[in-house]
Amino acid sequence: MNGTVLRKEIQERIDEIKEADILVGIPSYNNARTIAHVVKAVHAGFAKYFPDKKCVLVNSDGGSTDGTMSVVQDATIEDSLSILLHHRIVPAFKITTPYHGIPGKGSAFRTIFEIADALNVKACAVVDSDLRSITPEWVELLVKPVLDGGFDYIAPLYHRHKYDGTITNSIVYPLTRALYGRRVRQPIGGDFGFSGNLAKFYLTKDVWNTDVARYGIDIWMTTTAIANDFRVCQSFLGAKIHDPKDPGADLSAMLHQVVGATFDLMDTYSGKWKAVKGSEPTLTCGFQYAVGLEPVSVNLDRMIDKFRLGVNELKDIWREFLPEDVMKFLYKAGKQPKKKFHMPDDIWAEIIYGFAIAAHKKMINKEHLLKSLTPLYIGRVASFVIETWESSAEEVEDRIEKLCITFENKKDFLMDGWDR
Amino acid sequence: MGNLLQRLTIEPFERFFDKVIQFLPTLITSGFILIAGIVIGVFLKAVFLKLARAVKLDAVSERSGIIDLMRKGGIKDSVSVFLSKVIAWITIAVFAVISMRELQIPAVERLFENLLLYLPNVFAAALILLFGYLLGNFFGRTALIASVNAGIKLSGLISRFVKFTVFILAGTMALEQLGIGRGTIIIAFAIVFGGIVLALAIAFGLGGRDIAKAYLEKKLTEKEEKDEIEHL
Repeated sequence: MNGTVLRKEIQERIDEIKEADILVGIPSYNNARTIAHVVKAVHAGFAKYFPDKKCVLVNSDGGSTDGTMSVVQDATIEDSLSILLHHRIVPAFKITTPYHGIPGKGSAFRTIFEIADALNVKACAVVDSDLRSITPEWVELLVKPVLDGGFDYIAPLYHRHKYDGTITNSIVYPLTRALYGRRVRQPIGGDFGFSGNLAKFYLTKDVWNTDVARYGIDIWMTTTAIANDFRVCQSFLGAKIHDPKDPGADLSAMLHQVVGATFDLMDTYSGKWKAVKGSEPTLTCGFQYAVGLEPVSVNLDRMIDKFRLGVNELKDIWREFLPEDVMKFLYKAGKQPKKKFHMPDDIWAEIIYGFAIAAHKKMINKEHLLKSLTPLYIGRVASFVIETWESSAEEVEDRIEKLCITFENKKDFLMDGWDR
Repeated sequence: MGNLLQRLTIEPFERFFDKVIQFLPTLITSGFILIAGIVIGVFLKAVFLKLARAVKLDAVSERSGIIDLMRKGGIKDSVSVFLSKVIAWITIAVFAVISMRELQIPAVERLFENLLLYLPNVFAAALILLFGYLLGNFFGRTALIASVNAGIKLSGLISRFVKFTVFILAGTMALEQLGIGRGTIIIAFAIVFGGIVLALAIAFGLGGRDIAKAYLEKKLTEKEEKDEIEHL
């Protein structure tokens, strides 16, 4: 492992704290607007649910220019008595530090893992800095299963808008479930709990110069935990409401990093997933309840136009690795009227498996391959939106379940192509 | 009389015969060198073929697009066969030059020396063309995917423009390397390239004035309807 060197002042702070029971990490980059709420919720969570434990909050920052780090330093619970039933016995510590390495969420997490390792913590959690719906209960729900239940990895379970998390719903969840046989509904949810042992295990892996250092970190953490037989459960956290992501963030780059990391993991754990058939549910902690979510606007015309443009211009690239029947469907779908536009589950599963096989066999340049997936993904999302426009949250969930079963049933297609 | 006849007929023949006798060992040595060159060339060809097949050179070249380039150039052999032939012929050519030098004929020596000095330029030009082709295709494809993802309708045109610009640049560099019309080629390239850019600027400026105006107005005054879909 190539460890990063923690800054001198952080090392001094660690020496001062010596050891801790719980660590909650918050990666950030220009989140001055929202991070104070997250810090307060975490502190309230420490005070309310773990008053007798030694707790540390770590903010790992990517060089914010909007004063995020000072907001973290200054954030305190103004009226703790109105929130808490207990006063803290042991004070909570706060560490804010810029991280080293490739700019990205994964590098921020690496610094958090290193501090957790240095403090020899028992349980850790990481939460996003742009969350608006986080409550003190999130800390309990992400940490308690580690301390009291003996679990190593706690994935989040949220109620999200039916068109939120479309990469998760259409690619990452169905694919990881079919591959590794575990139904972890939000494998790239962004807010996770994990044991100190798992943090140490993560640090033994030399992945910090890959897509894992960026958006690939979430799927890497989840898959590493599942594939290495760590005890996994999920906690219901309620609604996930957060600031809109940076509008300048490029969808194809995001897709490239997440899907690229997922495909890399397929190579790493091919021995594991080839032996898996079907899937089994994952234990869920927390009390589930319905939440109201704001509607979102979707520009369907533009999405279908992008899909059509992709079919017209990128078909020669896709023809190199996608099956003939999929290509025939794409030519036809590219000419369908917008109202009748539909991409069936089995075609979508074959597309994703076809891309995975092409990445495994290095059939074309990996960046070209993954970025050429964008128009197909947009087409699939458009088809999903048309199909579920009138559907309730439960109906949409059933629809996603159907897609997952298709991915599981089509796994032989992947296995055949992988070894051929 | 008899003396004169001997000087006119027999002595030239004797001198010629002496020269032939003197030249014969050189000719035989030269012939041997050429035959050795052919044998070594064939041997190296066989060795290279085995090595290329062991490292799966053909599969790699298939993926990198070199095979397309060769087919477009009318070469039907696989990359390993083609390269093995090139190696064999280079070996034979080198030995042929050495054998010719062995003959010590000044005109032939000069000719082969010049040819030998020019050969590196040919190789360099061939390499430039090969890399130009590969890079042109790579950048063309990068531009195509990026512009499709950005929703630009003229993606195909942009991709071809990028690809052919790299091809033309590589062609110009290769010709310059070969010393063919050095100044002319660079000036021609600059004129053609500058001309294309100017033509495009004028075409867009005049033909697309209204579109540009509408686009700028839309960008500066209206808010584009954005998706609120959260992908992650």
